[in-house]
Amino acid sequence: MAEKLAKNFSLDKQDVPSGATTMLLDSEDPKEQLLEECEEIWKQVEECQNRLTLQDVETLPDSDLKLSLLIKRFKALTAEFNQWQKRTPEIMTRNSDVLVALGRDQLQKLDHELEMVLSTVNAKNKKLKEDLIREQKWLEEQQQIIDCLNQTEEEMSNQVVYFSEKRAFQELKSKMLQIKAYKEDVLNALGDFLEEHFPLPENSGTAKKKRHSSEEQDVQLISLHEILENLINKLVNTPHDPHITITASFWSPYIELLLRYGIALRHPEDPNKIRLEKFDQ
Amino acid sequence: MSMLAAFGKLPTLNSATILLVGTNDIFQQQLAETILKEKQDLKINIVFFFSHLAASLPLPVERDHIRPRIDLIVFMINIQSKYSFEDIEASLIHVDANFFLGKVCLLVTGVGRMNQISVDMDAIWKLADRYCSPVLFCELECEKVRTVTAQRLLRMLQVCAGHVPGISSLSFSSLMKSSIDDSNYMA
Repeated sequence: MAEKLAKNFSLDKQDVPSGATTMLLDSEDPKEQLLEECEEIWKQVEECQNRLTLQDVETLPDSDLKLSLLIKRFKALTAEFNQWQKRTPEIMTRNSDVLVALGRDQLQKLDHELEMVLSTVNAKNKKLKEDLIREQKWLEEQQQIIDCLNQTEEEMSNQVVYFSEKRAFQELKSKMLQIKAYKEDVLNALGDFLEEHFPLPENSGTAKKKRHSSEEQDVQLISLHEILENLINKLVNTPHDPHITITASFWSPYIELLLRYGIALRHPEDPNKIRLEKFDQ
Repeated sequence: MSMLAAFGKLPTLNSATILLVGTNDIFQQQLAETILKEKQDLKINIVFFFSHLAASLPLPVERDHIRPRIDLIVFMINIQSKYSFEDIEASLIHVDANFFLGKVCLLVTGVGRMNQISVDMDAIWKLADRYCSPVLFCELECEKVRTVTAQRLLRMLQVCAGHVPGISSLSFSSLMKSSIDDSNYMA
């Protein structure tokens, strides 16, 4: 309770001198009066202080520290509450000069603060106006973009050609037929070329060759055309395993030829297998 | 053992005194400088107590007569150092019980990098709960946070020194404490 009192007094004290300084010019009498009042309050503060110093410094207990602190807080809060209940607002001085000066002082302070608020609000207002103008400009631009896009959309919709499934199908079919015919042509040309330039070895075979083939139990050799056809078919039918095994019916010079000119490739692990060069990759 | 008394001296006119207790580190000194830089109507005194290893409160007796009455004690705990926590724990014992009526506050610094903390948050909460004192968190390395922290401390100091009419340090700290409890429940 005593602490509270001391605090209140110190509060009052602190308020008064700020008014007192402005009073200096007005007259000597109110100033003296004010100082006297201050002295009186200060005396009371000292009295409270003296009572307080008589109190021993309280050591914190080791056990139940929190409890004791809470009890202390409770007591203090209750005392404070009672103090507020009992307290009546008091006028610090009855001297009208002092009161007028103090009032003027506070009004001036308020005036200054309000001016600051006004300038802040004005600045904010200005900024908001600028923002508004900027936003309006932005809106206009967006509107223009929308108009432009709408126009483009209209133009585009005029140009739309309606997609017909049947027609597309027909087109694809005719294209496919063309390609098939072309493929046929190419294959025929290849066959003619091969027949003309790479005939079966029997037709132009030498005696040596004949002897060879007779040694190999006279296997029926196949033409280069057939070898190529095998390779192509194998690649097309089983793309995952395009290798074919070289049998006795393959005439080895033709195999050499295919390998040398990069038309066929040997299997990397099995030399008896070849495949068509990866033309498609 | 001498204690730090709450009401041992008369208050000084138009001034308030804050006691900073902590390990001597550069950011805590910068905080003190920031507090002094803040524009104030009243005169702010700062009493440093930067403990080194194995040193804790009370304040040394020899200069006691020129020291003003202390209105607010701020215990600064560097969350990245175990020693600072232990020092503060040891220092708290030397404080007059009257200070715990709202004139003590724990300031936890260095919370910017939570991966480097070496003091358990639970321990800090427990300490604050034990002494019924509010906890503030801040990262003193960041200038903005330092300024804000200085302003908060100054506001508390004004209340504690009785410069805010109608509010006592006790009621103020009770308000602060309940908000901390609330946040504790939410966590």
